[in-house]
Amino acid sequence: MSLRHLRAIIRKEINHILRDRATFILVMLAPLAMLFIFAYSLTVDIKHVSIAALDYDRSSTSRAFVQRVTEGDDLDLYAYVDTLDEIENLLTRDKIKAALVISPDFERDLLTLRGMGLQIIIDGTEPQSGGFAVEQVGGRAEAFVSELLAAQIEQAGQGQTLSLQPIDLHVRALYNPALKPRVDMVPGLISMMLGFPALSVALTLAHEREHGTLEQVMVTPVGRAELLLGKMIPYVIVGLINVIVMPVVARVVFRIPFNGSFPLFFLLSAVFLFAILGMGMIIGVFMRTQPTALALSFLLIFFPGFFMTGIFFPIAAMPEMMRMEAMVLPGTHYAVITRGVFLSGVGLDVLWPYGVMLVGLGIAFMAVAALFFKKKLG
Amino acid sequence: MKKIPPIIETHALTRDFKKTRAVDSLTLSIQPGELFGLVGPDGAGKTTTLRLLAGLLDISSGSAQVAGYDLARQPEAIKRQIGYMAQQFSLYGELSVSENLSFFAELYDVPVGKLQERTERLLTFASLTEFKDRRAAQLSGGMQKKLALACTLIHHPDILLLDEPTTGVDPVSRREFWDILTDLNLDGTTIVVSTPYMDEADRCSRVGLMYEGRMVVCDTPQQIRAHVEGELLELRPQDWQAAHALVETLPGVLQVQTYGDLLHVLVDSADERLPEIEAALEEHDLPCLDIRRATPRMEEAFISLIKRLESKGG
Repeated sequence: MSLRHLRAIIRKEINHILRDRATFILVMLAPLAMLFIFAYSLTVDIKHVSIAALDYDRSSTSRAFVQRVTEGDDLDLYAYVDTLDEIENLLTRDKIKAALVISPDFERDLLTLRGMGLQIIIDGTEPQSGGFAVEQVGGRAEAFVSELLAAQIEQAGQGQTLSLQPIDLHVRALYNPALKPRVDMVPGLISMMLGFPALSVALTLAHEREHGTLEQVMVTPVGRAELLLGKMIPYVIVGLINVIVMPVVARVVFRIPFNGSFPLFFLLSAVFLFAILGMGMIIGVFMRTQPTALALSFLLIFFPGFFMTGIFFPIAAMPEMMRMEAMVLPGTHYAVITRGVFLSGVGLDVLWPYGVMLVGLGIAFMAVAALFFKKKLG
Repeated sequence: MKKIPPIIETHALTRDFKKTRAVDSLTLSIQPGELFGLVGPDGAGKTTTLRLLAGLLDISSGSAQVAGYDLARQPEAIKRQIGYMAQQFSLYGELSVSENLSFFAELYDVPVGKLQERTERLLTFASLTEFKDRRAAQLSGGMQKKLALACTLIHHPDILLLDEPTTGVDPVSRREFWDILTDLNLDGTTIVVSTPYMDEADRCSRVGLMYEGRMVVCDTPQQIRAHVEGELLELRPQDWQAAHALVETLPGVLQVQTYGDLLHVLVDSADERLPEIEAALEEHDLPCLDIRRATPRMEEAFISLIKRLESKGG
């Protein structure tokens, strides 16, 4: 291994990153832009969901109920309607996300404790808003009924109290008290953002192949390891700059707590970059053109990175085969590390196995890349 | 007298790609100090031959020695002795002229003490000194070629392998480039260069003509010109298309080639056929501004050889 060769390749690659605008945007700005887009869009608070009401009862109780459900910011009453067809019409035209259908016996059934004649129709094509509406209506209906009963009992007098105690379950979520999805999403997303340096490394190798510069370098005495490492190290450096910037953004913009040790996070991120860049390197070694390298990077780095590393879907819920595949993805281990450091503030005593896995994956990926990278054409 | 061993020697060198045999049993011997030209139609195997010699492709069968090293077993040792220039521009466009030079100087382990002096000498030599801070991507085609040549010379190689170095370069730059090559050759560098230009082939000490992966002729330019059968007449008819069609059918005419508004007619005997052709043109009312004898050039030699091979093959 000649340090002089290595240094020459590194210097050349850094110049490329700084001078080629597309590469610069891809490695420095794209990760941040993506973090913003994802963090905002995935975690938007649902408010002001429009609903319609079809009241067959037309009693004072049913009117009070509708009013109760639609007060506040969560649900807005779009209109009272007279037929089910009108509801369908409004749903398909996207004027409302859900509708209440109140049965003709609503008041009578409630006052005689026979139940509640209520149907909720939601737009199944947008289950998030619909589910939110169901939740809101359910919660308010419960409150409405118990208040109604309390008033009834009081009216009946004689100092009797309702002996029934509603179940009172308090869930306390640790580390993320409000159970805000954003809080656990953002640290996970950081591992995806660091996929960009890996994508770039795959692209830059394919680029050199396409433009013949690789051919010109292959006829020099430079070693394969010098060439691969020299191309990789600048992207590790770029990735580490992102590792410094992203927690700051997470903290300042998204108010994500950072409870652990930053030096530990930095160290483990460097190890993760080594592993994920190894994947990029393999793609760059096997793919001959930039479009194919790009497509394969999405297939191997980004899609599994989102869906198989436990950022969105818990790994425990996956079938066994997928769980095994998830173990081979660096993002899986890094997601545990980022969440651990950001949210629960754990240290190396807990996270070391994940660090070890990343080191192992990194070495394996680099070995495959170095093995199949020949100083030959065709 | 002691025989000097060849600096490049191949024995039945063969390279197969999936469907084609790009180089077929090439046996070749090049002496130190030669300026060897590789010519042949596109797809004849010139690029593959140069890439094989540069160690960029694996050999399918056969063997080769370059600078005393075995090509299959010691490709890395060969790399220090050769300079290779690919057909397409293959330097780093975002790096400046001098950054490209020092990048390759470091990969070739040019001693640090000599780096400055060599870079400056090569810049002067390629007349790029005033452009040394310009990005390579912003150079003209001719300057890019000169820079690429300078980069392949940075480690003072004994052998230069150049793949169509002047394709797509203007005639003035082309001539300049060849003057540089001739100087290098006179200084003792062995050069193997492929070219589509026959005037360039004429400047080589020996020329190898490749056709469908095989080397069909390998000789000095003078000898190759002598391969041409028959004698050459040059016509300047007013209507060259009609004249071409007519002359082709006349007896004793071996071949007709067009050069702009000129017709080059190969005949078995110039003395006999010249008056016949003149008469035929007059008879068909096709006036001819000029008709005279000419010496066959590499171009005619090349085309007549290829035509002969094509008619033999199919």
